[in-house]
Amino acid sequence: MPLSDESPDTADNVLPVGSMVPLSGPSAADGREFRNGVILAAEELNQAGGLLGKMINPVFVDTGRQTADEVVRAARTLIEKHRVHAIINGYNIGPQNSEYEPIADAGILYIHHNTLLQHHDTVMSNPERYFGCFMGDPAEYWYGQGFIKFLSWLRDSHQWRPRNNRIAVVSGAKPYSIVIANAMVSAAAQFGWNIVYGPKVVKSMQTDWNAILDEIRGHDPAVLANTQFYAGDLAHFHLQFMQAPLPVLLYLQYGALHRTFLDLVGDKGKGAIVGTVIGLPRDEMGEEFAKRYFDRFGPDSTPEVGCQPYTSLHHYAYAVAMAGGSGGPGAFSINRRVAANLQKTIYRSVSGTIRYHPQWQAAIPYPDVVHDSSLGIPHLFYQLRKADQRHALIAPEPYADTRFELPEWIER
Amino acid sequence: MSERAPFVPDEVATAPRSDALLRESVEALGHGFAMWSAEGVLAFCNEAFQNQFPVSGGRLKRGISIRNFLEQVARSGLLMLPYAAETWIADELASTEARRSSEYTFSDGTIHRIERWRLQSGGTLMLSREITTAKKNKLALMKARHDADDAVQNKLRFLRAANHDLRQPLASLKIQIYNCMTCEDEAQRNEILHAMDVSVSIMEDILGALLNIGQLDAGKIVPKIANFQLTTLFERLEVQFAHQAREKGLSFRLVPTTLTVVSDRVLLERIISNFVSNAIRYTETGGVVVGCRRDGKDARLEVWDTGSGFDPKYSQAIFEEFFRIADEQTKHKHSLGLGLNIAKRLADMLHHEIRVRSVPGRGSVFSVKVPVGNIWHSDIGEPEINERIGGEFTGLTVLVLEDDENLREALTTLLQRWGIEVHSFNTFNDVATSFRALEIKPDFIITDYRLRGGVAGTDVVQQVRNCLGTACPAVVVTADTNPSLIKQIRNNGFPVLIKPVSPPSLRVMMHNILYEPELVQELRPPEARD
Repeated sequence: MPLSDESPDTADNVLPVGSMVPLSGPSAADGREFRNGVILAAEELNQAGGLLGKMINPVFVDTGRQTADEVVRAARTLIEKHRVHAIINGYNIGPQNSEYEPIADAGILYIHHNTLLQHHDTVMSNPERYFGCFMGDPAEYWYGQGFIKFLSWLRDSHQWRPRNNRIAVVSGAKPYSIVIANAMVSAAAQFGWNIVYGPKVVKSMQTDWNAILDEIRGHDPAVLANTQFYAGDLAHFHLQFMQAPLPVLLYLQYGALHRTFLDLVGDKGKGAIVGTVIGLPRDEMGEEFAKRYFDRFGPDSTPEVGCQPYTSLHHYAYAVAMAGGSGGPGAFSINRRVAANLQKTIYRSVSGTIRYHPQWQAAIPYPDVVHDSSLGIPHLFYQLRKADQRHALIAPEPYADTRFELPEWIER
Repeated sequence: MSERAPFVPDEVATAPRSDALLRESVEALGHGFAMWSAEGVLAFCNEAFQNQFPVSGGRLKRGISIRNFLEQVARSGLLMLPYAAETWIADELASTEARRSSEYTFSDGTIHRIERWRLQSGGTLMLSREITTAKKNKLALMKARHDADDAVQNKLRFLRAANHDLRQPLASLKIQIYNCMTCEDEAQRNEILHAMDVSVSIMEDILGALLNIGQLDAGKIVPKIANFQLTTLFERLEVQFAHQAREKGLSFRLVPTTLTVVSDRVLLERIISNFVSNAIRYTETGGVVVGCRRDGKDARLEVWDTGSGFDPKYSQAIFEEFFRIADEQTKHKHSLGLGLNIAKRLADMLHHEIRVRSVPGRGSVFSVKVPVGNIWHSDIGEPEINERIGGEFTGLTVLVLEDDENLREALTTLLQRWGIEVHSFNTFNDVATSFRALEIKPDFIITDYRLRGGVAGTDVVQQVRNCLGTACPAVVVTADTNPSLIKQIRNNGFPVLIKPVSPPSLRVMMHNILYEPELVQELRPPEARD
């Protein structure tokens, strides 16, 4: 039976799990998928008998524009009103770990997919206090470094012959975008690249990109990377880029995988490179999950996004089962056992292997950190195709299912 | 312990009773004892001898000849014979020495010394003594002495190698310090300081590598094999040798490469830097070029020089310890001849092939072959990824104005963890002088509102801005919660945080002020504030 969004019953046979999701605001499309992912995982677990006899009851709170105030308020609501045992969700771009404080005070589990390097530092600054805070995907830093390796791999494997070694980097104003851009800059020289433009930090909701594109044109790069966060920003950028394309290999940040981006750019997206440090590999597990997801939420849903909290709720369930239970706010002892189990249990999810780094408490990426694909979550690189075609998954091995194609704007 | 009576051949058994005392004494010896007659037949042996040589079905038979005895011993495998059995038997029988002493290792691992005396009667007296313990003690003593000698030699070699290898970066550092002292251009000085920093880190790495070589001598070194970009190695070579080459009037060029290799980063650098060091030392005109070329599945790192070169007959010898070509000895007294030896030893350990070719008077090419690596696995050389290295604030300079020492230290620690360079001053009677003494251009200011001497933090910020000539972004932190005061500070365009300030709230505020100022009320025009 499908689950409701109503306040949970706090009876003994119910395990309330909170989820802070942007159901309104600029990330509402993602928020919907995050909610779907939690619902599907909870339904599957409950159908299999629940968790130690308890039914998982997800509770969703809207985080709107995902500001620190909104997300902290959501965390407090889940803790104080709904007495949740854990909070599991996708990302919230704005709070910059301020939501960790009420969660740490309550001593419950928190698994998010904020994809932020600052998670490492916050957790490592006081592991005792933040014992329950986990990031179910790798930090955004790996986007930057991984992209430089990806470029170099294309070059060295002769799939693409760059005209020169010049890179232009445009960054969004969010910490996420800035960290990615900085990581690209710091790794570039080692791999034979030269940053000739940027990172140019551009505010969100930029609508006119022509001036920036003209500036970039003057630097004659072979690569152009845009680390903006929002799909809408990336779509505006891409459409204006396509009006007079530069002969560059074009990289767009994760948002370009979203339906919003594809709806706006249509076939013009073909040829752009997009990466994600948590996605849905096209192996047996990934494909079966996608089918279940589409069956449950319809053909317009996006399992590539919903898979994030889906994976983490399943992983949490294993940890709770091994701990023999879980507890709400104040139940530090049992929740520490849950956290310890989460930490030590390597979980092969539909997104790849979730293995938490012992200090970072974040999923370790492959091949950015580990070289064994069975021990890390894959950092996937796609090349966009026509609007009605699946994106080409071009790297890394063993997940790639096709090869890179030279974009038409370069061929021309 | 055997309960068998000692074997006494018949003729011995019929000997006069006066011999009983002698027999008892021989049994009490504790060593194997046997007498053979002039005809070569066993006349007497004690129990210990029987036990040592359990041949002939366990008991030595009456009338057994010494030849038969030796043949049975050889067949039984009791002894580890020094050579073929037939030869050994023939040798033993042919011996005419008055006294002969031999050591044998028995199959059970015990060692015995067997001595034979030729008697005047023509008979033979045989005494077999176990010397296992004494022998092992002696071997242990010899090994200990050998180890001690090795340790002394290794220590000497280590000291010589340290002396040799540290000279290169030390020489660079001396030049860089001199240049830095005379440099007035700030950007150039910063560049030199960066080079000095690299030189020091090279020295650290060399010491580490030398310690490893000491461990190599002790067989304890374990290379750390990784995939990495050759450019990282080339950058360090540039810093290490460019100054020296220029000082000597030589050109020094590193041909850019994008290759990934698989090796031990530090040890490979030692190999190449020893090649380069040698190249510069033995080159008087022209220059040195370091490059890399693909060689099948490998990369060949080559160091070319236009130096004196050497006769190809020395191509092997130059890799020996302390080897120097005689002609060069007087010219290069500071060379100990260790660099190439170290390079060879390291290359052997890493299974990298070293090649050299040289033409006297024209120059040399030293090269090392390294497997090409997987670029996806390339290690960027950072031991830990955190905000200090890759955060959004990494590299920023922040001025902290806080006169409470504990708070200032805590805030400094936090900001440094985010990769921020932190400066502060805490005397405010002459702000311009205090600030200029820091010689910085801050990207951001964090100030307490009530500073020592009743000075307002906002006034100090304004004076710093005047010195800079720009409106450096700032945030005020205060423990004062008086609403009218907070409002007044905000109305003056300063965002405010109330103490105690949590790291997330400071992080959010700094981010917004620096990158998304439209989100900060205080930075908007009054009419645009909520």
